[in-house]
Amino acid sequence: MSDEPRKPSEENQPSEPRNPSPQRTQDPGGQGAEAIARTAMNPSPGPAGPAATKQPPEKTPEGAEKSVGASGASDVKTGTAGAAAQSAKPAAKPAAKKAPPPPDPRAVAAKEKADEIKAVLIAKLGASAVVETGAAHFTPMLLIDRGKWSDAVTALRDDPAWDLNYLECMAGTDYPEYIEVVVYLQSTELGHFVCMKTRTPRDGAKVPSLAPIYPVANWEEREIFDLLGVTFTGHPDMRRIMMWEEFEGHPLRKDYSVWD
Amino acid sequence: MALTDETDVVRTEEMLLNVGPQHPSTHGVFRMVVKISGETILEAEPVIGYLHRGTEKLAENLQYTQIIPYTDRLDYVSAMLNNYSLVHTVEEALGIAIPDRAEYIRVITMELNRLASHLIFFGTYLLDLGAMTPFLYAFEEREKIIDMFNELCGARITFNYMRIGGVKYDTPPGWLEQVDAFVKRMKGEMVKYRNLVTGNEIFLARVRGVGKYTTEQALGHGMSGINLRCTGYNWDLRKKKPYSIYDRFDWEVPLGKNGDCWDRYILHMEEMEQSLRIVEQALQQIQPGPVLAKVPKLIRVPAGEYYSGIEGTRGELGFYIVSDGKDKPYRLKIRRPSFENLQILPIILKGVPVGDMVAILGSIDPVLGEVGA
Repeated sequence: MSDEPRKPSEENQPSEPRNPSPQRTQDPGGQGAEAIARTAMNPSPGPAGPAATKQPPEKTPEGAEKSVGASGASDVKTGTAGAAAQSAKPAAKPAAKKAPPPPDPRAVAAKEKADEIKAVLIAKLGASAVVETGAAHFTPMLLIDRGKWSDAVTALRDDPAWDLNYLECMAGTDYPEYIEVVVYLQSTELGHFVCMKTRTPRDGAKVPSLAPIYPVANWEEREIFDLLGVTFTGHPDMRRIMMWEEFEGHPLRKDYSVWD
Repeated sequence: MALTDETDVVRTEEMLLNVGPQHPSTHGVFRMVVKISGETILEAEPVIGYLHRGTEKLAENLQYTQIIPYTDRLDYVSAMLNNYSLVHTVEEALGIAIPDRAEYIRVITMELNRLASHLIFFGTYLLDLGAMTPFLYAFEEREKIIDMFNELCGARITFNYMRIGGVKYDTPPGWLEQVDAFVKRMKGEMVKYRNLVTGNEIFLARVRGVGKYTTEQALGHGMSGINLRCTGYNWDLRKKKPYSIYDRFDWEVPLGKNGDCWDRYILHMEEMEQSLRIVEQALQQIQPGPVLAKVPKLIRVPAGEYYSGIEGTRGELGFYIVSDGKDKPYRLKIRRPSFENLQILPIILKGVPVGDMVAILGSIDPVLGEVGA
């Protein structure tokens, strides 16, 4: 599964109107060689990505050639380099387009609201409680420290100014480095709508349970436990809910193979 | 519970009773492990997952348009609303403007589908309680709606009709007139249902004051839709977080008082009337025009997270999409109202007679395709 999507992206690489070097660095095959090529191209110690895009297009083929030379000139790589030379001209276009798009005012408002909530939480739980704020589309988003997860949610539910009395949606997502647990909380009286999340390492994933705060979290957390393998500490009934008890593995994890 | 004092007189033993997963009154493959003492339920534990098909996992390998038919199979008695919820979330993420006619067709089909779904509730709920006739009346009318949908999109149950940016087909000639005739006829039918069932004394005795819960319990358990409104709490997403064109119609949100089975029943009936009102107005307002906005063939949702919920037939039906900018979702989570609504069962079933169990479960109106997902 994990190898599958990489192949087409490698084939598409030449046709993409982008400077090849930042993408190539993701290629696990020739990482060492790539690093050498990068230093040859950009002697400056800054990050390779932005520096490479700033390069004038004439220099790109030269840099690509160097990288080929360093990686031992396999057939695939030469092909890529040749195509990259052709695509060097259009490469300037997206770079010019990259002028930052004006942020949507609704997203800005959401971020401001998230900062407002952050101030409330920090006053109650200390500066370490909120890791990050932002906007999930147009919803205020707060990334909460895992240890303060249930405290933060309780604090907002019990705060009369926020009164987040309704858990609207709860989900878990498997990312390469961590698993994220997301809740969308609603104040049915005041109209606030907030997205809160916390992260846990994939191995031995554990998150404090929200079931004592919102009864609805009971089955939602069981579902996340079942499908993503996150154990919720303090949950009254941590069992599988969709799959049977003897089932092995957690289907919604990205490394789960469907074909077993 | 109530029998503890009487045990000296009549000796009873606790017993585990397995209701389902194959049982007509459970409306699908739903199992309840009930601990009973005599006629009283001491504990009830719902067991679900018999209809788990891994829709969320499947969706991760499908393009957005390809997911639409999978949503048909969640709440299979109101597939239009499932279709809409998904395309609505994607449209919100993309910021597409939908042609007016498409919005009207969507509202007409969604409200007709809500009506069809409530008709199933009406028929099967009374069937659960032992009344055979309403079932036949309800399915006769439902069949008419299904036939109209069949003419519109070629499917009776799993419509796959909505698309990102509009709907798949414009209405065939004469279709809107057909809907108009149906609405007029249905209004008369509603009176018939009321006369037939609503005042029936046996029915009232079975549902009045049965399966009660409070607004706080309902909110805590994430209940939505009629299951929340029956407690008297005004929460309808069509009014509270307006989407589509529901603000162009004049209609009301019917509310209950006591949060019992009777309120849930009567709210279903009143919602059917409101749906008819909306369809009627939509039919007057609809104008010719395009039914599909200009959208790219390959829909790529910009990287980010999106959640948006609509008022489904059974409550808030929402889709949470995590996108990494590709044409397939990185993660798709479906907020299924029946899944949340069922969680209150162990609380409201405690201490009630076994005979009321079916009345209570039926009034929650779960669809197990949605619970299992």
